[in-house]
Amino acid sequence: MAPKLVHVDGFDAVVKALDEHKGSSVVFVLFCGSRTARGVSWCPDCVTAEPIIHESFKKCPDDHVLIHCTVGERNFWKDKACIFRTDARFKLNAVPTLMRWGKPQRLEETQCTDPGLVDMLFEDE
Amino acid sequence: MAASLRLFTVLGPAQKFQFRIFTKLVRPLSSGSNQYDYDLIVIGGGSGGLACSKEAAQLGRRVAVLDYVDPSPQGTVWGLGGTCVNVGCIPKKLMHHASLLGEAVKGAAKYGWDVPQETKHSWEVLVGGVQNHLRSLNWGHRVALKDKSVDYLNAYGTFVDAHTIKATTRSGKETILTADRFVIATGMRPKYPQMEGAREYAHSSDDLFSLQKPPGKTLVVGASYVALECAGFLTGLGYDVTVMMRSIPLRGFDQQMAELVIDNMVSHGTRVLRGCVPQQILKQASGELAVTWQRQTGGPGSAVDADDSDEFSTVLLAIGREPCTKSLNLDVAGVKMNESTGFIVGSEEESERTSVPNIYAIGDVLQDRPELTPVAIKAGKLLARRLYDGATEHMDYVNVPTTVFTPLEYGCVGLSEENAVQLHGEDNVEVYHAFYKPLEYIIPERNHQQCYIKMVCSRQDEKILGLHFLGPHAGEVIQGFGFAVKCGATRGQLTSVVGIHPTCAEEVIKMHVTKRSGEDATVTGC
Ligand SMILES: Cc1cc2nc3c(=O)[nH]c(=O)nc-3n(C[C@H](O)[C@H](O)[C@H](O)COP(=O)(O)OP(=O)(O)OC[C@H]3O[C@@H](n4cnc5c(N)ncnc54)[C@H](O)[C@@H]3O)c2cc1C
Repeated sequence: MAPKLVHVDGFDAVVKALDEHKGSSVVFVLFCGSRTARGVSWCPDCVTAEPIIHESFKKCPDDHVLIHCTVGERNFWKDKACIFRTDARFKLNAVPTLMRWGKPQRLEETQCTDPGLVDMLFEDE
Repeated sequence: MAASLRLFTVLGPAQKFQFRIFTKLVRPLSSGSNQYDYDLIVIGGGSGGLACSKEAAQLGRRVAVLDYVDPSPQGTVWGLGGTCVNVGCIPKKLMHHASLLGEAVKGAAKYGWDVPQETKHSWEVLVGGVQNHLRSLNWGHRVALKDKSVDYLNAYGTFVDAHTIKATTRSGKETILTADRFVIATGMRPKYPQMEGAREYAHSSDDLFSLQKPPGKTLVVGASYVALECAGFLTGLGYDVTVMMRSIPLRGFDQQMAELVIDNMVSHGTRVLRGCVPQQILKQASGELAVTWQRQTGGPGSAVDADDSDEFSTVLLAIGREPCTKSLNLDVAGVKMNESTGFIVGSEEESERTSVPNIYAIGDVLQDRPELTPVAIKAGKLLARRLYDGATEHMDYVNVPTTVFTPLEYGCVGLSEENAVQLHGEDNVEVYHAFYKPLEYIIPERNHQQCYIKMVCSRQDEKILGLHFLGPHAGEVIQGFGFAVKCGATRGQLTSVVGIHPTCAEEVIKMHVTKRSGEDATVTGC
């Protein structure tokens, strides 16, 4: 067994995934820019952060869940009215954002590329 | 620097030791103290300790901060940030605000709002909102320490010698750390009286802000600002609250103002018992707490004329706070403290230096210094700059403004009237004063009897020695005037300023009646 990593794409999918993991486990959510035709995210910080976050998450207990959500293409995200920015549950300001669901712990942008901070977020209660 | 930080962050905790060696190589500023693990270890991650450690780290030093919260007798613990963030200023001000909102809602009908006659308040929602905010502050402090490369240890520090400390975690794991210098910033915790039932059943401000159940009928023991503030907001939130004090309210503050604060609290619905000392707290089968107290109507020290008792759901002890110095093993390091009070006495030349040259103290643990967050922060930053940046500026502890957040706020800066008279003699002190009516109180017919301002001046040159303001938003009002007093302003200079109309603050500028004249100090007209 290992902690569970779930990949979802878009708003409805992340809401559904959060619903499925409600209550029982410790849930983290990572929001990143979607991959372009070239196979990597359009957001350079996301590209750097993803492997660091995935690696750090491996050290978590088995009942922990990381939902890795891609928010969409660049133009969709850059819109100030983007649902990820406006929805009261997420209120995102930046990608990447890594958060502990239901708790105030959150890291944004280059903070997500700092392994020390990422480790701390996964460990902090 | 940036490169070395990056490197640290890719190393796991196991490689910490190698990291140390590495930083020693890349941080030439640190040379001279390489025989130690750190340049600076700060004991206590509260207002002062965090400010000092971050400042020192920004100046290129290797810094660690130890923060550990001893559970309260009721078992309450909290995260990084110290008293102010977790069990002091922040939750207190939020609960005060919650109480003021209730007042505003009551008066809103007169302003045309259709609000229900009976409004209900949910303690659980308030505590939930407050605690959630505190958790985000805890997290913010952790991120800030990491960002600035300060090593954070959630461990209790005790001295081994003047350059060595033992850090003990909650699970009992011990680590020995050495440092060139230390800063003691361990703050204070609530005092408990020698009374049956105190530790078992009573709460303190350490527990109140995270209390899971509504406090219900509450007895607040004490007359400190913490006691009065808590009693004030609990009353405002709708609870039946009694304050029990042994002698005078707000010791150290201007006593005329303190009495007005009490008058206002009484008219606001708080019951106040004076000359009373609790003797015992017993838990009833119902879960209620039976409190017995002695009443001394002849004032403190007089014969006891009666024993009284009553039942309460919550007893909040706020009889004072004591510095967290007793278990630091200060003696093995050679640091002297005042044996009876536990405060650390700063040296003559440098307020924050202890009796041991490489060990400093800041914040609440220092004797005879204002116990306030901005004081601890400023002293911590200035100390770091003196130690590591060649700065010469010292903390100035004189004319520090402050505010008591009772339902009617009391803000002040400078001397109390009695201290001014004591220092300068009655003939050399002129006191201007005014009873005023906040405009917004008129329509809802709110009590304005205690809205009062006084300015204590030197009679010769009219220099402002002290300013005292009792009224709405006193904290916001006094901050600006604090600047004037700090700059040595005279009453003449102050009255040369044009007021902002209509405000309460303009009444400070308009004051013209002296106490000596005996004229009516009530402000009239526009
Ligand atoms: C109810 C209440 C309301 C207040 N309201 C205000 C206000 O409105 N405005 C204002 O300016 N001030 C207010 N204060 C005062 C303010 O909180 C303090 O002045 C301030 O926190 C002092 O900072 P400090 O750094 O000295 O200590 P603290 O902030 O108390 O931090 C000390 C830290 O050290 C830790 N510690 C202690 N011993 C050890 C050890 N051996 N090893 C490791 N860690 C240790 C403690 O657990 C704590 O976390 C209030 C205080 C209270 C209790």
